[in-house]
Amino acid sequence: MFESPYSFENLDVGQNPTWLNWFLSLPLVIQIAVVSILISTCFILYIQYRIWYIRFKNYIYNKRVKYIVPILDDLITEQIVLKSNASQNQFGEPAFNIPNQIRAEFRSRKYRQIIIDRIIKYQADFTGTIGTEMRNLYMELGLDKVSFRKMKSRKWEKKIRGIRELTNMDILIADVNILPLTNNKRQELRSEARNAYIKLSKNEPFKFFDVTTEPLLKWDQIELFKTITTTENIAIPNFARWVTYSNNKSVVAFCMELIVYYKQYDAAPAVVKLLENKDHLLRAQAINCLGKLKYEQAAPQLVHIYSNQPLNCRLEILKALGRMGNKENVTFLKQEFMYSTDFDIRKNAAKSIVRNSNKQQIDLLMESCTPENQLILKHNLNPLIKY
Amino acid sequence: MRNILVIDDDEIIQNVLDKVLTKEGFHIELAGNGKEGLSQIEKMAYDLVITDLMMPYANGFEIISRLKKHPNTANAAIIVISSITNEDSIMDGFKLGIDEYVRKPIIIGELVMRIKKLLSPRT
Repeated sequence: MFESPYSFENLDVGQNPTWLNWFLSLPLVIQIAVVSILISTCFILYIQYRIWYIRFKNYIYNKRVKYIVPILDDLITEQIVLKSNASQNQFGEPAFNIPNQIRAEFRSRKYRQIIIDRIIKYQADFTGTIGTEMRNLYMELGLDKVSFRKMKSRKWEKKIRGIRELTNMDILIADVNILPLTNNKRQELRSEARNAYIKLSKNEPFKFFDVTTEPLLKWDQIELFKTITTTENIAIPNFARWVTYSNNKSVVAFCMELIVYYKQYDAAPAVVKLLENKDHLLRAQAINCLGKLKYEQAAPQLVHIYSNQPLNCRLEILKALGRMGNKENVTFLKQEFMYSTDFDIRKNAAKSIVRNSNKQQIDLLMESCTPENQLILKHNLNPLIKY
Repeated sequence: MRNILVIDDDEIIQNVLDKVLTKEGFHIELAGNGKEGLSQIEKMAYDLVITDLMMPYANGFEIISRLKKHPNTANAAIIVISSITNEDSIMDGFKLGIDEYVRKPIIIGELVMRIKKLLSPRT
């Protein structure tokens, strides 16, 4: 009869045959295979457990939503939508007539997040009386305290959720709580905190520019720009203040974008000072800003520093001179167009010349330049081509 | 009684408009998406259609052009409720024949006034 060489009976490893001894007696390849199978099985079991757990959580959540949302919707319909001035009751009385049992359910751990999400959804859909009453309801149910508690959580994602809820409900957050978060190491959190600060701070929405040491990433700038330009009744300061004093380059760059957007001509002298900055990227942006502001007083200085600048700054100078619309600069632009060996320089100089010359002058220039430059000029005469 | 069709995938807006406009004495029909909305117009004629622009199955522009061609809604006033702020999209809506464009978040009182004005007999 066949007998396996790996049966327990044939083991001679140690005195007492154990599973470990038996396992160690197996060839290495088999050992590796057994370990791999065990690990894979455990992993699959864990994944399956997670799937069941998430499904169960969703099932419970949906069950709760099905129960509590119709109650909340009925309450909102009866006491807010169909009855205006719901909160104009006598002082000291609850503004909403909510039975104690339902009030307790709304505040319970089981349901409060569902209630908060639903109220925020109403707030996003309706403004005016309904919007104001939703805020009152949120406060009366004490849900603002829940959101504030989230802000104190250790988890950054929970903090973000808290900030977002308070921002959506237009609840003021004390500077002492929100300002440190605008400079948090976690990019998502500081971005959320900055947006919230701009939306909620009534007096100095840009105060966090003073304290921020972390850079404003490009995406942060886009988000902030959207928040600043779409938030109503925001107090817009003179951004020259940060252009002059901020040590954070990204703040300075962002402020220059805002200076252009809000056409703050008073800020131009502060921007001119940046032409001496060591960072060529910041210099290029300052030149761009001056061009867009059409600050003609800076033109002689731009022409003066031109020869010492790297290519990106030179290109910005050529564009800026074109935007400023000063005819005196055309001679300089022509010189660069005719004699420069760099294609980009000739292209941008030509664009600025076309902007500031009449047809006769362009025809004259066309006759006197090389065939390649003629092509560049023709290209720039096409109004559909922009760069 | 004037018939109003509300086409919106947002159940909160559906619910609120249903309650408010029913209280104002209108007959309301609700549709949760463009497809449902287009099947609703086969059943009866409407005096006013309130529609969102971004919805599953059929977008608002497609619905508006179909409404304008259908005999049950060809003469109906159309109000668009949307959070779209793009000027071109709004202009496209007016070119297709919408009567009002209401931006979200909505002021419900203002919307009711616009509806009443649109449905009042013109002298």
